Amino acid sequence: MEIDREDGRTPNQLRPLACSRNILHRSHGSASWSQGDTKVLAAVYGPKAGTKKNENPEKACFEVIWKPKTGQIGKVEKEYELILKRTIQSICVLTVNPNTTTSVIIQVVHDDGSLLPCAINAACAALVDAGIPMKHLAVAICCCLADNGYAVLDPNKLEEKKMTALAYLVFPNTTLSVLPEGSSLVEDEPVEHGIITSVTHGVMSVDDYFLCVENGRAATASLSAFFRKNFQQSQRDPSKAG
Amino acid sequence: MVMRKLELPLSKTQKVRYERAIDRLQSLSSTANSDASVIVTDTIPVNHDDAFLKGHGTSEVDGELLATVCGVVERVDKLVYVRTLRARYKPEVGDIVVGRVIEVAQKRWRVELNFTQDGVLMLSSMNMPDGIQRRRTSVDELNMRNIFVENDVVCAEVRNFQYDGSLQLHARSQKYGKLEKGQLLKVDPYLVKRSKQHFHYIESLGIDLIIGYNGFIWVGEHVEVRDPMMIDDQKDDEMISPSTKNTGKEQIHTPLETRQNICRIGNAIRVLSNLGFTMTLEVITETVNLSNSKNIDIHDMLGSEFHVVVAENETKRRREKRKK
Repeated sequence: MEIDREDGRTPNQLRPLACSRNILHRSHGSASWSQGDTKVLAAVYGPKAGTKKNENPEKACFEVIWKPKTGQIGKVEKEYELILKRTIQSICVLTVNPNTTTSVIIQVVHDDGSLLPCAINAACAALVDAGIPMKHLAVAICCCLADNGYAVLDPNKLEEKKMTALAYLVFPNTTLSVLPEGSSLVEDEPVEHGIITSVTHGVMSVDDYFLCVENGRAATASLSAFFRKNFQQSQRDPSKAG
Repeated sequence: MVMRKLELPLSKTQKVRYERAIDRLQSLSSTANSDASVIVTDTIPVNHDDAFLKGHGTSEVDGELLATVCGVVERVDKLVYVRTLRARYKPEVGDIVVGRVIEVAQKRWRVELNFTQDGVLMLSSMNMPDGIQRRRTSVDELNMRNIFVENDVVCAEVRNFQYDGSLQLHARSQKYGKLEKGQLLKVDPYLVKRSKQHFHYIESLGIDLIIGYNGFIWVGEHVEVRDPMMIDDQKDDEMISPSTKNTGKEQIHTPLETRQNICRIGNAIRVLSNLGFTMTLEVITETVNLSNSKNIDIHDMLGSEFHVVVAENETKRRREKRKK
């Protein structure tokens, strides 16, 4: 039984993506990422000298500041900051700039569902813009389960409210990873099919979870292609100025 | 070449001409370079028989060279590295920069430089108006405002980096210091390449052109580099006059023609920055001559027609350069 989505998308179809980089002048790197109506702005400052007290000085440290569109910063924002920090730590090469701190600031411009994956994609694009060395790019996607057991990708806010369970998944953009140690949260799966981060809300069975992961991974191919096209377009820019 | 979209409305024929010029430029340049743009985890094509050095932005995995940043592959002799396309200014010691004073602080001025942090110009790194080398006293500190105030444009050289990454500047010779009677233009820093000379004097127009490496360009009326001894005499004359406010009226006004030339050069730089061409004296003077020869009004220089004309002209110039 097919699910009817309000905006007419198929269950595996993503909303239109848009990404623009280098929009802020004073930051080292910045990017804005929008999926449909959800839009997030990310800025990267650093690397700056010195790490925080409890951090390992032999590695680069990342700090994330999440700014919601309205309201005060509360527990939800702190949780997002922590998830984002762990994700960024696993995709960046930490040994290149030891004893430095890089700040990533996320500003929510509009939230229309699938906010955390949008923010992760924006942060990744901003890190690329800033030139921070990374092992691979992070591609994030939201996958949710409807009542009848169907997995739907990239829901908007109304759809999110109707779903029984929700999973935010972050994958590396290629099967190869620059450093062969792989990524966190890999248990029995081989490194090639790695998953970087997985956050779930609601109740779902194990099979349903794996179904979501499969669907998500299949969709990352189109997201990776979008990333690649976006970066290469702007790279044909003035580096060849005679 | 330039894939940046021009934000001007182009008519159909203009669009065709513009795109044709850009394509020609691209074909001219791409044959010269064997660069490839890479994104993270792309394999960098390397001949494994030659010994090569892995530079920044690369990492070797399973015998393959992968990129860890997104950028352009650069090869210098045996060094292979990936250069990012950061648009921020990356300062080095000895760079000539132009900046605007934003704050007068204790014994220093803070200068805005199009960098993440502000540059600091210490009072001791600045030549005293009377030219004498001496220790700066508290009287000097109180008179700091007579040298630079907020929003003054200054030209200085990068002295070193401080421990927290901010820049220290110095302005120790006469060619550095406050810049007056002109325009400050901001372009993207990657459009300014390192060259031997950053101070240019265009004799025919009587205009100074300082291309700061941080992307700030100063176009102004030519000021003779004066001997410190002469400044001494001049300062004495000025102090005789009853109040400092009168010196404003006594100054000679810049002639209209010089001001028009300053505006013309300024617009030429704006056009070149929109099109994304490197800023060199040659290109700027060519653009100005082009606008003069076609009798284009200064205001029209920022119109779409002139942009297209400049792009075409640049194609012609590059082609001629290659033939030589």
